Amino acid sequence: MLEIVQMFAERGYQLTPEALEILSKKDTVSIDHLISSLDASTVVVSAEHILSLLNGRRGRAAEENAKPVSQTVNEPPATTCTPEQRSSGVEVEVLREITGRSTCIGDYTDFVKYFRDRYVKIRDLLSKRMSSRPIESLGAQTTGREVSVIGMVMAIRNTSRARVVELEDPTGMVTVLFARDSPAYEDSMLLVTDEVVGITGTSDGRGRIFAKSIVWPDLQAQPQPLTAASGGALFLSDLHVGSNKFLMDTWNRFVSWISGEDPTGLSSDVGCIVIAGDIVDGIGVYPGQEDELEIKDIYEQYQLAADLISQIPSWVKIVISPGNHDIVRQAEPQPALPKEIQSLFPGNVMFVGNPSWITISSRPVLIYHGRSIDDFVLKIPGLSYREPELAMVEMLRRRHLCPIYGNRVSVAPEAEDHYVIDKPPAILHCGHVHVVGITRYKGVTLINSGTWQGQTEFQKKMNIQPTPGIVPHVDLSTMKVRKLRFT
Amino acid sequence: MSAEYFERLERGLREEMEIARRARSKGLDPETDVEIPIAVDLAERVEKLVSIPGVAERIREFEVQGLSREEAALAIGRDFAEGRLGKGASRLDAIDMAIRTSVALLTEGVVAAPIEGIARVGLGKNDDGSEYLKVYYAGPIRSAGGTAQALSVLVADYVRRSMGIAPYKPTDEEIERYVEEIGLYKRLQHLQYTPSDDEIRTIIRNCPVCIDGEPTEEEEVSGYRDLPRVETNRVRGGIALVSAEGIALKRPKIKKHVSKLGIDGWGWLDVLGGEKKDGGGSSGKFLRDLIAGRPVFSHPSRPGGFRLRYGRSRNTGLAAAGINPATMMVLNQFLAPGTQIKVEQPGKAAAVAPVSSIEGPTVRLTNGDVVRIDDPSSFPWISSPEALRRNISKIIDLGEILVSFGDFMENNRPLAPASYTFEWWAEEFRRAGGDPAGMEHVDGRTAIRLSRDFGVPLHPDHTYLWHDITLDELDLLADAASDGEIDGDALLMDMREDVKEVLEKLLVHHKVRDGMIVVEDALPLLLCLGVDETGRRWRREDLNADNALSAVNQLSGLVIRARAPTRIGCRMGRPEKSDRREMRPPPHVLFPTGSEGGKSRLVNEAAEHGFIEVVVERRRCPSCGKEGFAFRCECGAHTERVRACLSCGVRADDKCPRCGTETSAATRMRIDVKGTLARALESLGERVDNIRGVMGLTSRDSTPEPLEKGVLRAKHGVFIFKDGTSRYDLTDLPLTHFRPREIGTSVDALLDLGYTHDIHGKPLESDDQILELKVQDVVLCRNAGDWLLRVSKFIDDLLVKFYGLEPYYNAERPEDLIGRLMIGLAPHTSAGVLCRLIGFTRASAGYAHPYFHAAKRRNCDGDEDCVMLLMDALLNFSRSYLPEKRGGKMDAPLVLTTRINPAEVDKEAHNLDLSFIYPLEFYEATLRNANPKDVEGLIDLVSKRLGSEGQYCGFGFTHDTDDIAGGPRNSSYKTLETMIDKMKSQLELAKLIRAVDATDVAERVINSHFLPDLMGNLRAFSRQSVRCVKCNAKYRRPPLSESCPKCGGRLVLTVHEGSVRKYLEVSMKVAEEYGVSSYTRQRLELIQMEIESLFRSDKVKQTGLADFV
Repeated sequence: MLEIVQMFAERGYQLTPEALEILSKKDTVSIDHLISSLDASTVVVSAEHILSLLNGRRGRAAEENAKPVSQTVNEPPATTCTPEQRSSGVEVEVLREITGRSTCIGDYTDFVKYFRDRYVKIRDLLSKRMSSRPIESLGAQTTGREVSVIGMVMAIRNTSRARVVELEDPTGMVTVLFARDSPAYEDSMLLVTDEVVGITGTSDGRGRIFAKSIVWPDLQAQPQPLTAASGGALFLSDLHVGSNKFLMDTWNRFVSWISGEDPTGLSSDVGCIVIAGDIVDGIGVYPGQEDELEIKDIYEQYQLAADLISQIPSWVKIVISPGNHDIVRQAEPQPALPKEIQSLFPGNVMFVGNPSWITISSRPVLIYHGRSIDDFVLKIPGLSYREPELAMVEMLRRRHLCPIYGNRVSVAPEAEDHYVIDKPPAILHCGHVHVVGITRYKGVTLINSGTWQGQTEFQKKMNIQPTPGIVPHVDLSTMKVRKLRFT
Repeated sequence: MSAEYFERLERGLREEMEIARRARSKGLDPETDVEIPIAVDLAERVEKLVSIPGVAERIREFEVQGLSREEAALAIGRDFAEGRLGKGASRLDAIDMAIRTSVALLTEGVVAAPIEGIARVGLGKNDDGSEYLKVYYAGPIRSAGGTAQALSVLVADYVRRSMGIAPYKPTDEEIERYVEEIGLYKRLQHLQYTPSDDEIRTIIRNCPVCIDGEPTEEEEVSGYRDLPRVETNRVRGGIALVSAEGIALKRPKIKKHVSKLGIDGWGWLDVLGGEKKDGGGSSGKFLRDLIAGRPVFSHPSRPGGFRLRYGRSRNTGLAAAGINPATMMVLNQFLAPGTQIKVEQPGKAAAVAPVSSIEGPTVRLTNGDVVRIDDPSSFPWISSPEALRRNISKIIDLGEILVSFGDFMENNRPLAPASYTFEWWAEEFRRAGGDPAGMEHVDGRTAIRLSRDFGVPLHPDHTYLWHDITLDELDLLADAASDGEIDGDALLMDMREDVKEVLEKLLVHHKVRDGMIVVEDALPLLLCLGVDETGRRWRREDLNADNALSAVNQLSGLVIRARAPTRIGCRMGRPEKSDRREMRPPPHVLFPTGSEGGKSRLVNEAAEHGFIEVVVERRRCPSCGKEGFAFRCECGAHTERVRACLSCGVRADDKCPRCGTETSAATRMRIDVKGTLARALESLGERVDNIRGVMGLTSRDSTPEPLEKGVLRAKHGVFIFKDGTSRYDLTDLPLTHFRPREIGTSVDALLDLGYTHDIHGKPLESDDQILELKVQDVVLCRNAGDWLLRVSKFIDDLLVKFYGLEPYYNAERPEDLIGRLMIGLAPHTSAGVLCRLIGFTRASAGYAHPYFHAAKRRNCDGDEDCVMLLMDALLNFSRSYLPEKRGGKMDAPLVLTTRINPAEVDKEAHNLDLSFIYPLEFYEATLRNANPKDVEGLIDLVSKRLGSEGQYCGFGFTHDTDDIAGGPRNSSYKTLETMIDKMKSQLELAKLIRAVDATDVAERVINSHFLPDLMGNLRAFSRQSVRCVKCNAKYRRPPLSESCPKCGGRLVLTVHEGSVRKYLEVSMKVAEEYGVSSYTRQRLELIQMEIESLFRSDKVKQTGLADFV
């Protein structure tokens, strides 16, 4: 009883005895919710207030029961912790993302601006490491001389004797040849279209360069972050709520753990959860999806997702960014989930776009759903869906989340290229491929966070073995990552 | 008789060949002789197609030995293995030749699969170091069909063994690669049959030959990539086709040959699942992938849909189905002769042909009357869509569809119960001792009397669709009839909706007058309802019936048969076609204009530059040594092509002696277009502008046509195809008999062509007599005639002004071309068939004998192919012009069949039925769902006449038609302008037809057409390439420079907001109006949201809102 009074007092409310009477029959978690839904102008909370709020919630729950959904939601287990113990000091701040700032109207200049922005930003990174000249200056006077250029790859093709790359900058285009017997040939296998690289080689004065080396904008090795931070963060993605393969039992185990049923006590310092897209399975994402859905209504999918998220204790801050199954545009960058969907979720959830830069306890975190991993796996030798973290390394090497244009990923030509990684993050978090992968590259922690969906028919055909129910946990003070299994 | 006909055709061919040879000998073409070899029979055709000497002789020997086609194909493989054929060839070459020859034989030497579908053979190494055989299949193997694909593997295995090559031992990863790849292929392309993953594993693990292939799709596999022994990550269509449609689907056939030949190592075939091919069993599959603007006419097996009537008219069979021309009109004119329909059974698709002797649609008029329209001319308003809309409030029944027994035979479909029709009743009447002549229609009183006197079932005119109503509805109607008034033979009942509805379901014709429903000639109806002439109902208590049909049998005391037990679901497929063949952009001549020709590739525009730099064939004059690209040197000699290796520069005719790559005469040259054009115009004495050439040449040697041909073609408005010929495309329709008036050819002209007697043996005198069509004669759409006339004028000009010979055609009107020879040629094939033009039709299709279509390996399920004038092909076709790419040799007359031997055409034609009457036993057998094979003996088929004179003449048909071109000329799918108009009409029709569920149609249109279109365009927008408006250069992505890096022109997007949005609004409207599922509606909402997000800036939205507030 006292606890309840205290909880309200903490937030500046006073309770009438009748209200307390009603509330004493409730568990603390839902009380926390109630408080957050109270009108800020209220000082004394009466029984009427409580009842109207409770009825609002019950009304929703009743509707849910009427739905033909076989999945059941566990009641959140009661916990005895108080909020002030729980506000573990993990602060989440959004630095940069697209929501509300989309400028694209779909004309030709949008595309030009988009690619130019990419070129300029990455050229600036490369210029610190090499001095280059504009492509238009490669006239006859450069014949036989060594030149360096920074350009964006327009085309790559193979001939019997060389790999031929068309490279352009805003001043022109040049053909770069990697002879099969040259030392740069191996490196050229890693080139993908539309990335920006530096090339050094011999000009023939007639628009061709015989390449000697390639410079990628890559990261410099980073020292460990100096700022102190504490607490833990969890990284999730690809819930696919609504799919008939959504793993409800696994989710329930996770909720129990985060709510305190954790012998190690690790859960108690989790202050933040990031979910990198595909919250629901969506509708019409692929042909025949209708037959693999448990819930065919996308709003009902989100309703259930919101209910599942509400089971996470409210003191944990949750960040949700969208993926290609979510109810936002397919073209990237994607804005945050629409307001009407957001309103289904509890108050501890914040919504950001895809990709987005946030900080968790001042650690910069870059969240990207990871659609481009499909293209990386297809185009770069040695990459596979089994090790998505290696594709993520390629993103860092290129300082770009999604260099390849025109394949699997749809882009919205925004004036600014949101994919460019201008500063190294502490954590790069992706999902999409349903396989957990963790590695560290030049001081950056790379996390691909797996899934909560079992293997689909499509994945079976494509030889993709998902690793569901595994949650990467990062200790923000040491940046140590461990995998928590809920399978 | 037929010998005389063939002799006549061949005489004509020889005459034209003679002229063409004289023309060609002038040395103005790539070769100095005609380049289309003539083949008399299949053996010769195969030999000429594969170009291996000795093959024809062996095939003829096998024929004499009585070997079947398939046995001969395997035997010829053995000949190669044992060195009897292809002497001196290397091991691999012998295997290569063996496979090609046997596939050629299996496909009658017609399709391009043997030359294009098998890329090459090669050797690989097993893990144990032994060598195994790889056969690389390419895309065109599809045209060979499953049997030939499967047997080609068997031949390969057979030859492999005798050469001591080890079987293929795949790794587990390789096996899984096939599983993934075939699954992926299935998503991209159509597969007749999809084997289960385990079936694929069984096939690949055990097949002793490695089925390999060239990449055919852009798509790459993502799971099993970079396997050391698999050269590509892209999808190889050939392996999917050969494994799935070949080995898995044709398992029984391979097994038969394996056991016959005693080859071991194929026992695993038994493990493969015994599943039937997809599409077995009547189903709604034909509704899949419904396209906007192509209406559904009937959902599967629904009352009100097409009623199955067995029979063949003189313009149906070979997959063409007959429907009444009035039905075509009533269906908003979406059907016209030649329009393809997708059907529930017996096959997947059919072309429709008008047959006026079967029943038309039954409609409810706006005044409530229910009538059947059998003759469109008795309802003049029928031809106006507006009047149709005003007059008809419901299409209660679509009428009959005429399907021949042969089509059930060909598709191996169990016979569906026949409708009770006059021809069936007539057989029963005949058996009972009556004479059915003149009894097609009798009044009710007579019908009852005949049934009572002869003990035959009630005449079909008075047999209603009792099986479509319930006992309660029967009772309701009987009560109403009992309460009604009987006036003479007519029944008058109070107008009540429920009573009327029952009458409509029964297809009882009636009128609504002064609040009364009037049924004329109602005695049989009353008898069936058990109502006597005083209006009293009788024997209503002792009924022992669980359905209405059995009840009326008991009530009437007569035998009442099921009037329409089988309804065939149906939708529109492809529209009919009758149009000239055009490439895009359409050229007059294969002459390169480079980028100087501009967007229209104009030779004149290029000529303004004087000299242009292009790739053309390098030729040299053997007498004066001068080099250039002309076929005839200024000194008069015919030049020779000079081939060299592109990388080594070594001169060689075929392959580079140093590096082994193919040599080519294609050379980058600066050519004097201005001078060449001026000389051409001068020598021809012509002044012609706007001669359209091509951007560049794609043949092996980049051989250009003489520019003079382009001048003359431009003068006559004649365009060409990739091989230098001018073609006209037409939908195939069958025809076995015709009336002179239908083809617009005079009796005299027909007498000249050898049509002397009608089918009854009477001398030809009037234009209404029925004549039997000769097997290589064709009747083309009038539009084709106008176009052929232009080509003939071009040819005459060419003969006179270019070759210096006499004109040949001298035609002033299309009719002047009657009797002239042409070549028919189907896509995916490489053998043309000689034919003769005997007349023109109003229909937008090409009517020809079923044998002629089968000789091109076509049936009449909506396929189209082309004709060209024989002289055009002889003069202008050259292999030198054919594109070098895969499939380049398809759709080209590489060989010409002069005489159709029915034994050597596609076997489908052997199932054509030729009876005038289907016997009573047949109709009875349909009620048992008999297998067509079991009743084959009852019906005259082509297969029974092979080898006799009867194979060419004495054909019959069961149903006549007034006019082979009845109904609308063109489908309204072609005449309606926009997609929206088409779709509106489609949905309007859906609401009008009783057998169609309009909501389902709307849902399907959105799901299979609009949604994919919207999503596809959205995707395309966000991944699009850009284009230069000036030089048309394309860039995969917008370049960083503002203008075209090649020419500095302005760059534009290839996908715009407009093309993305195009169908959004209409889709949402339709979804709303027809109440489609919320899943579909939500998908549309998502797309709308995405479009808003992509094409509207958030900044604009905000300021907009701020301004507003």
